[in-house]
Amino acid sequence: MIDPRGPRFGAAITAVLLLVVIGLALGGATIAATVIFAVQVALFAWGAFAGIQRHPYGILFKNIVRPRLQAPTELEDPTPPTFAQGVGFAITLVGLVLQLVGVPGALVIAASAAFIAAFLNSVFAYCLGCQLYLLLVRAGILGRKGAAAQ
Amino acid sequence: MTPLAIAGALAALIATATVLGLLWKRQDGRATPGSGRISPSEITLGSTATLLQFSSQICAYCPATRRVLSEAATNGISHVELDVVENQKLVSRFNILQTPTTLILDHRGDVKARIGGAVRPDTLSAELDRVLAAA
Repeated sequence: MIDPRGPRFGAAITAVLLLVVIGLALGGATIAATVIFAVQVALFAWGAFAGIQRHPYGILFKNIVRPRLQAPTELEDPTPPTFAQGVGFAITLVGLVLQLVGVPGALVIAASAAFIAAFLNSVFAYCLGCQLYLLLVRAGILGRKGAAAQ
Repeated sequence: MTPLAIAGALAALIATATVLGLLWKRQDGRATPGSGRISPSEITLGSTATLLQFSSQICAYCPATRRVLSEAATNGISHVELDVVENQKLVSRFNILQTPTTLILDHRGDVKARIGGAVRPDTLSAELDRVLAAA
């Protein structure tokens, strides 16, 4: 079980980084924007495959931020934020690939979608997986015969 | 784009996300009227009311909702928790779009109210009072 403020702290850094990417891309600094965006894709992959607790922001939160905060009122299962990292990875990876093959606007659109998800997670404690996981189950993509998503 | 236009675009993006967040917050945990019916052969109904919770593995607020509902399950009120993966027929029938979703059933199994998202104790007790009074 993890402190629910950890993933929200990480999502805030992610949101800021994505805003920088969008700003650079709109300003014509395409290479810089693409490089930072690729770093973000790698960070999402880290969170999705190694688990949210082993994500660099999670470690930063645990060692530097959490000792300065009061104890959490409630602990949370790490599965939903780890699932959300996987969703972030999928969206940003598609955006990065389309950008690299030259689809105009792919980077800005993918970064904007990921920004909105990270912002909602950080500011409003929105749980993306709570809706998206069920939609994937209903579409028959996940959860057949009780198979786990993670 | 000029720096001013970029700043404007970023501000518009932040504003959009904020509006989406406020809209989500407004409906989250709110009780709405329910419809449909569940028969005693499908789930074990409580003698006065049933709190039917749909949960999934990827669900941040299912444990907290489970706690609120099980604390309310006294005096013939039962709490039943179903996994969405194992109960896809009920999920489609009641058009469950998020977890947790809680259906409040009366003693006959008629769905009287529906709460999407984390259930707050005050919302639940108001709805239960209404359902029990109507019985």
